[in-house]
Amino acid sequence: MAERYFIGKVQWSTLLGGWMEKYQILAPQKHEGGLFLEPVSMENLSTIVYDAARAVQPLKAFLFPALEEVTGEKAEPEKPWLFLGIKACGLSALPILDQAYGGEFADPHYQKRRQESLIVSSDCSQPWETCFCTLIGGKPYPSEGFDLNLSKVWDGFIVEAGSARGKALLEGHDEVLKEVVKEEAEALDKMRKETVSKIEKQNKEYRLPADLQKLMAGSWESDVWKVHSETCVECGACNHACPTCHCYFLDDVTRKEFVKLRGWDACQYSGYAVTAGGGTPRPHLYERFRNRYFCKIKYLFENYNRLGCTGCGRCIEGCQGRIDMRAALNDLTK
Amino acid sequence: MGQPKNPYQPVKAVIENIIDETPGIKTFVIKPEEAFGFHCGQFAELTVPGVGEGPFAMSSPCHKPEMLEFTIQNVGYMTQRLHKMKKGDVVGVRGPYGNGFPLEKYYGKEVVLLIGGVGFPPARALLYSLLHEKDKFKRLLMCYGARTPQDVVYKYQIEDFRKQIELHMTVDKADESWKETEGVVTVLLDKVNFDLKNAVSVVIGPPIMMKFGTLKLLEKGFKPRDIFLSMERKMYCGIGQCRHCMIDHLFICKDGPVFTYQELKDFPDIWE
Repeated sequence: MAERYFIGKVQWSTLLGGWMEKYQILAPQKHEGGLFLEPVSMENLSTIVYDAARAVQPLKAFLFPALEEVTGEKAEPEKPWLFLGIKACGLSALPILDQAYGGEFADPHYQKRRQESLIVSSDCSQPWETCFCTLIGGKPYPSEGFDLNLSKVWDGFIVEAGSARGKALLEGHDEVLKEVVKEEAEALDKMRKETVSKIEKQNKEYRLPADLQKLMAGSWESDVWKVHSETCVECGACNHACPTCHCYFLDDVTRKEFVKLRGWDACQYSGYAVTAGGGTPRPHLYERFRNRYFCKIKYLFENYNRLGCTGCGRCIEGCQGRIDMRAALNDLTK
Repeated sequence: MGQPKNPYQPVKAVIENIIDETPGIKTFVIKPEEAFGFHCGQFAELTVPGVGEGPFAMSSPCHKPEMLEFTIQNVGYMTQRLHKMKKGDVVGVRGPYGNGFPLEKYYGKEVVLLIGGVGFPPARALLYSLLHEKDKFKRLLMCYGARTPQDVVYKYQIEDFRKQIELHMTVDKADESWKETEGVVTVLLDKVNFDLKNAVSVVIGPPIMMKFGTLKLLEKGFKPRDIFLSMERKMYCGIGQCRHCMIDHLFICKDGPVFTYQELKDFPDIWE
């Protein structure tokens, strides 16, 4: 059994207040349009939305910002981050980014932020309409990849330590950490089952095979790519909102010598793969559209042994053309 | 342990010499501030400071790593600015990246180089390596094609290479000065015989030439595993991160740029 305790909401807030000195805490706050990860202070501590659903920003927006200088010495960051309220669909994107920015040519910027920051995840209980984690084999509650996980139960949380650093956060606070009683454990199970059912129910019109790679294998020539890309305006929102998309460009755009900026790129852009000579492997919109699906399901899986889709639904939420990944994949099965 | 190396930071390099190859192609001889050991067929990211960066294969011998040569066509924004640079100017270089040619797999064999246009620069690095241990190969043969006689690079070395390897040349469009074949590079393959049981081929050139070159080699009887291709696509990082150069799930920059046709043949659109 994992190490877990019950902690009252007030006591939790007190703990959090204590960590503020050492960490820059970022947590979901409700605004028009959704939940946004924002810096936590004593003023907005009480309005943190722990459970609910995933925030608008994926974690990559912090670990790998949309535009940054990657050459030269960087100014030391203020305090390490402590991310609060990250959902399972956010955690499951991290092994892809960790591998992509690790290895022989590891990105020192990503690695530093990733290693120094802490993640306190939480269970999802009120999924957005666009959420579909269960459709592609995910769960709306974390089972790995967190330092601490919070599951909202009654007027407090069941807090579970998932790493040595998570355990260390709880050290010395025995007085507020209670044993989880049977009723609390049962309430947690019930809440988790209910959330799973909610997500399954809102996706009941879609049926996807367990082996998505096999589904893709026969779909290169499918009409689905042309049909579903008809309303695409190539804005790249699906790429930028995606927690696993991490394509970038490098440029000397500052025009300063030996200073390189790195910025998010999007494979949906027509210029994405165009060479200096003008050639591109994907001149047509449907080909770029198809590339995103193949990257998510086949290429990233082969590179990093992880599906590039976590079912977070951000690409659906952000699409101006009302393109729905679930529907496109579902149509491939027909 | 020091700080981990920043993979995006180029090393400064002074342009020691510039050779005009053709009206649109120059060879830049550069001396990096730090040692730059590489293997033939690998490439580097070359920076024009304040302008941009691009991937180019070294065209100089890999056993002489203190001085690097890049033969570059003026074709885009960055290369246009590079072509305006002068001796003594400073550029940046990152690398070396990629796998390079697996020379040990060519030992004891007939090595057939099928080269088009500015595919010659990486091929020249390969040639230097092959000639460096010439006795290990049964036969060295190169078929090179350019658009016109003016577009032939390394003109000043052709006779020297011809003394050391079997060299066949063609141009798409000849003029009165041209004494050799006229036609696309694949026609040269009809003029030579190979011991197919014991031959490998290396294809480098523009995409369309690589496609028809490969098809011709297959037609001649080469097996997909014996055809080595040096691939190219849009590329930024060179280190398997930015994903611009992918062919299916393979990174040209990290898994390549040298692949056998066997490794690529089942993927769609590899020649685009």
